[in-house]
Amino acid sequence: MTDGPLIVQSDKTLLLEVDHPASAAARKAVAPFAELERAPEHVHTYRITPLGLWNARAAGHDAEQVVDALIEHSRYPVPHALLVDVAETMDRYGRLRLEKDGDRLVLHATDVPVLEEVLRSKKVAPLVGERLDRETVLVHPSERGNLKQVLLKLGWPAEDLAGYVDGEAHPIELAEDGWAIRPYQQQAVDGFWDGGSGVVVLPCGAGKTIVGAGAMAKAKATTLILVTNTVSARQWREELLKRTSLTEEEIGEYTGSKKEVRPVTIATYQVLTTKRKGVYPHLELLDARDWGLVVYDEVHLLPAPIFRMTADLQARRRLGLTATLVREDGREGEVFSLIGPKRFDAPWKDIEAQGWIAPADCVEVRVTLPDGERLTYATAEPEEKYRLCATSSSKTKVVEQLLRQHPGEQTLVIGQYLDQLAEIGDRLDAPVITGETSVAERQRLFQAFRTGEIHVLVVSKVANFSIDLPEAALAVQVSGSFGSRQEEAQRLGRLLRPKADGRTARFYTVVARDTVDADFAAHRQRFLAEQGYAYSIVDAGDLPHAGTAAAGA
Amino acid sequence: MPAPRSLADDLRARSDDALAALLASRPDLASPVPGDTASLAARASTRVSTQRAVDRLSTPELDVLEVLVALAGPSGTASLADVVRACSAPRTRVLPHLRRLLELALAWGPDAALRPTRSAVDVLGAHPAGLGAPLAEALGTRSPARTRDLAEDLGLEASGDPVADLEAVAAHLGDPERLQQLLGAAPAPARELLDRLTWGPPTGAVAGADRSVRVEQATSPLDWLLARGLLAPAGPGHVVLPREVALALRGGRVLQGLDDAPPALVDAPGTSAAGTSAGSAARRPELLDGAAAGQAAEAVRLVEELLDGWSTAPPPVLRAGGLGVRELKRLTDRLDVDAEQAAFWAELARAAGLVADDGEADAAWAPTPAADGWLDAATPERWAVLAQAWLRTSRVPALVGEKDARGTARTALSDDLDRTAAAPVRRAVLEALADLPPGTPATAERLEARVRWQAPRRAGALTGRLVGWTVREATWLGATWLGALASHGRVLVDASADPGALAGALEARLPAPVEQVLLQADLTAVAPGPLVRAVAVELSLLADVDSRGGATVYRFSAASVRRAMDLGRSADEALTFLRGASATPVPQALEVLVRDVARRHGRLRVGVASSYLRSDDEAALAEVLASRAAAPLRLRRLAPTVAAAQADPATVLHVLRGMGLAPAVEGADDDVVLSAPVVRRTPPRTPPRPVTGEPPPVAPGAVATVVAGLRAGDAEQVRRASAAPGTPGTPPPLSATDPALALAALREAASAGRAVWLGLADAAGRTVVRQYSPVHVDGGLVTALDAESGAVRTFSVHRISGVAPV
Repeated sequence: MTDGPLIVQSDKTLLLEVDHPASAAARKAVAPFAELERAPEHVHTYRITPLGLWNARAAGHDAEQVVDALIEHSRYPVPHALLVDVAETMDRYGRLRLEKDGDRLVLHATDVPVLEEVLRSKKVAPLVGERLDRETVLVHPSERGNLKQVLLKLGWPAEDLAGYVDGEAHPIELAEDGWAIRPYQQQAVDGFWDGGSGVVVLPCGAGKTIVGAGAMAKAKATTLILVTNTVSARQWREELLKRTSLTEEEIGEYTGSKKEVRPVTIATYQVLTTKRKGVYPHLELLDARDWGLVVYDEVHLLPAPIFRMTADLQARRRLGLTATLVREDGREGEVFSLIGPKRFDAPWKDIEAQGWIAPADCVEVRVTLPDGERLTYATAEPEEKYRLCATSSSKTKVVEQLLRQHPGEQTLVIGQYLDQLAEIGDRLDAPVITGETSVAERQRLFQAFRTGEIHVLVVSKVANFSIDLPEAALAVQVSGSFGSRQEEAQRLGRLLRPKADGRTARFYTVVARDTVDADFAAHRQRFLAEQGYAYSIVDAGDLPHAGTAAAGA
Repeated sequence: MPAPRSLADDLRARSDDALAALLASRPDLASPVPGDTASLAARASTRVSTQRAVDRLSTPELDVLEVLVALAGPSGTASLADVVRACSAPRTRVLPHLRRLLELALAWGPDAALRPTRSAVDVLGAHPAGLGAPLAEALGTRSPARTRDLAEDLGLEASGDPVADLEAVAAHLGDPERLQQLLGAAPAPARELLDRLTWGPPTGAVAGADRSVRVEQATSPLDWLLARGLLAPAGPGHVVLPREVALALRGGRVLQGLDDAPPALVDAPGTSAAGTSAGSAARRPELLDGAAAGQAAEAVRLVEELLDGWSTAPPPVLRAGGLGVRELKRLTDRLDVDAEQAAFWAELARAAGLVADDGEADAAWAPTPAADGWLDAATPERWAVLAQAWLRTSRVPALVGEKDARGTARTALSDDLDRTAAAPVRRAVLEALADLPPGTPATAERLEARVRWQAPRRAGALTGRLVGWTVREATWLGATWLGALASHGRVLVDASADPGALAGALEARLPAPVEQVLLQADLTAVAPGPLVRAVAVELSLLADVDSRGGATVYRFSAASVRRAMDLGRSADEALTFLRGASATPVPQALEVLVRDVARRHGRLRVGVASSYLRSDDEAALAEVLASRAAAPLRLRRLAPTVAAAQADPATVLHVLRGMGLAPAVEGADDDVVLSAPVVRRTPPRTPPRPVTGEPPPVAPGAVATVVAGLRAGDAEQVRRASAAPGTPGTPPPLSATDPALALAALREAASAGRAVWLGLADAAGRTVVRQYSPVHVDGGLVTALDAESGAVRTFSVHRISGVAPV
């Protein structure tokens, strides 16, 4: 029995005692194969999942290393069943391999019974062709993605060694003038490139776009970039212009408003998944050029149709970028089989500790509903309840109070309900950005905010994704979409870009006490605490009043 | 000292220590306490007790006994030298086993004339050491004519007297030299046939074994042997190899060799397998101990979990006894183990006396008072209780789910799971593992071979499975890890009777319990090791367990905190406890949660009332509440216009009317209910049958049959009375005889061919004393010659009331 910092639980979670002197070494040892699930202040929880183990296998770790890491750092004896399970699970990866045999794509087995087992599956049969010999079976190239998906579901994930097409060459270089790619970004690019295809996990604000640019500079080929929305597409475009040798003419935008196909094309998920009369009219974009690289931004939000399209893109290099592998719809397996295994991962806290992202302070402000609203709330229909409490009039007053507490800070007020946002906008005399605001107007306002012309922006959920507002140091959330963890991460991400002076960002959530709003807030709170953020709760009544605020700040 | 004449004599001559050893080895002889050595000898010679003793013999002991029986025959003797020679082993290797047989009173007599007890001969059956009957017996089944034929064929002068002829033939063939000559002359195919029967079993199935064969006609190898008496027919379909012939074929030996080396549990060092499996075989013992101790703690936790579950929701006892399949599934889910393990833990809890049938009308399995003491003890002590119970129990939980004789699946905790072999096999397995150096594992196959060698007669079809189950259960219990016995498992084997030593051995291996948890802002508490019970109990009130293992993760939620509030904890109490139990400050989020729940707790109140009283006139209600006449209604004012009553509406109405008030009854929808008296009816019923006190009448046709039966009974009585005067001698007054003594006397009379007086209970329950010559005593049946009628009768031993010599 050692005195290690790790406790291996029988439910396959690993508890890591953070304050233990050897915790850093243990963290390093388990990170390749275990997903960090919760990172509160004292004990971090990692989970061992089959996907995590296969990710580790794909990254070149073997079962012995995993078992050794567990035994070496564990404080108590490791349950034997768990070790056996780890070894058996890891052993399943790579028994089947997708390989090139001349021009043909074949599924090759190092273990014949496994091949026999999967070939007997009804789901596999239509995807494969002629049996070439005992260990090899022909695969239709078009079924490469589907086969990988099915095999993963059967528990025998295939290792894809069939290689990629080079695609149409196109010169792309990083333009490192006055800035330099950060070490972890370079590691991410290299990890991806060596693996061929896969996912890079970086927290919001850690510069995922740069990783994308770096990958493009490696590929030196035409690139298709898939992003969540138009604003984000513009963001990518600007970033690429700034960070690479690409010029305006080389970058096309394929969105609701423009349909340009250029050597580097940025398209939104929405356009690709638009369906008319049962067909996807914009699907041909995928074949419009001989793409050498496909980049997926925010992989955890990939909609299902994109997965299906991706299944047909298996011969091209694919880079997924995301802040988290956890999908609320549980389709992590599809990301693994279709985009590829995780190639790089750096926990938020590590990057924060390196000074690349700003620390954040989360505060929940609780307001009590006025009696009249309370009664309305109590008797409202269940589907109305959240709206009623989330848009309480008392919240507006608190927002004002909070802003007065931090005069001059670049502030975002984030909400879900347009009426509420409009009211707050009026009271604060601040511009409001919603889905109805035109893209050009949005761009203009964001630019003004960035330059400091505007101090306060009131935004709806359009701001959730991929808008880079580096100087936002304060955010006040008045309502959200029912406590989604994704949303929380995104909103926090808004504030996490490093500040010029290294200030701590503040994230306020205004919550109505004793309502479903508070229940959702509890959900958010748990997520943030699990992510290791300092989280405190204050009563609206305890906030310094208008008169004293200036002195306090 | 003269040679003993009987086992009783022999026992009488033994030292006190020797007798004590006998009683220790065969405890059934001491209970009830025998009156004297004669009855001790008699009891030692009973079939049941002998069987028990023989079943416990190890392979070499049994071999030596078989040799002795084969050489001595049913009533003869054999010398030590003969036995040693027949065993094909040096005297030093044979002697300890022989001494053991003498110690166990399975054999007696001086070295020159060793004698197996009759019951030992019986127990070993017809073919000791795989040898057939002796020549005289084996050939004795032929008709006199064929015996004569055989004598003539062997070149003897047939006398015509079958007995004399048979003796002559036996003597002729029994002569070793002549037998060798004859065997040497046997054609090769006949010799092959003999070789197949030489080392037993001595019988072979052939068609027409009892055919008449003469030397001249003999064509087939079988005929050749039958015609010369080298094989004897044993019924129409079988032939048997006579003992003398087999011994000659075996070269004068009985055994090929003495199997006195126990089967190895691991490959000897230096063999090829040891090199390759060195990594897994020679585990580091301290690692093993730690892992097994971890599992031992888990075992204790699982039983605790079971008790906690059954404390609040005891599962019902099935009508046929046992625990229903659905309840077992529920336990499986609760313990998060598979069904086989769940059955094991339930059985173990019961074997340790921690749960039992509560004996209520709706019987349920509930924790016993002993469970409370167990729950309060420390983990090592608790484990010691479980481990000892496991070592002792005859229950085999692995049989749960298997079909019984009637085709229904066996349920856990049912009556059908006891197996007598379970406990001895379990101990044998653990002892075998304890024989190995620390950290050395053994496979179930090897362990089974060892167990079978240790008691070959006891081993049955179940033995292999029992060994496998023992290995499995030992792992669950944390006595072994990866097939090797942990150091506390060794203590279990060596000092199972000393719970203190057992607990101490485990305690040294367990991680030290922690008294504090780490509270975190994500509303979890982590106990980074086994938590002391007081803290664990309180914490599991306030929070739910999220993850178990070396550590325990608790999660606080509004529901879990409310649960604690429901049990009377206040917010301050809960927070004080948390502050004390936490190594870190209580996070603000947790404090807010506790305060929030406390603030809302009890805002709505629920109570029980049988009826209510309501009036728009507050004064009218006040009047009723103030009245003494209304006191029995136990009214309580809930609001100015509402009061709750503990009495039912009818009583309330009655009392209020008695006070001169005019109350009205209210329905669920505020309407006044107008009530008419309720008229009651039963469901449809048939009228009762009349009770006359007389039996049902007999059908007229049956009367004649009953009368005929009575007449026949009378006639038998008359016949018996008239036959009585012819009986020689007068029966002595027979007192009840100890069954063991009675059997011994019958066996002795049978072997000596003497007659005895025998008291027998007849069908009507009367005891009839008659003279019998016992022929055969076996398997609870006595076959005897009725001296009076000359008929051979067989009756069960339990009908014998007494035996006396004539």
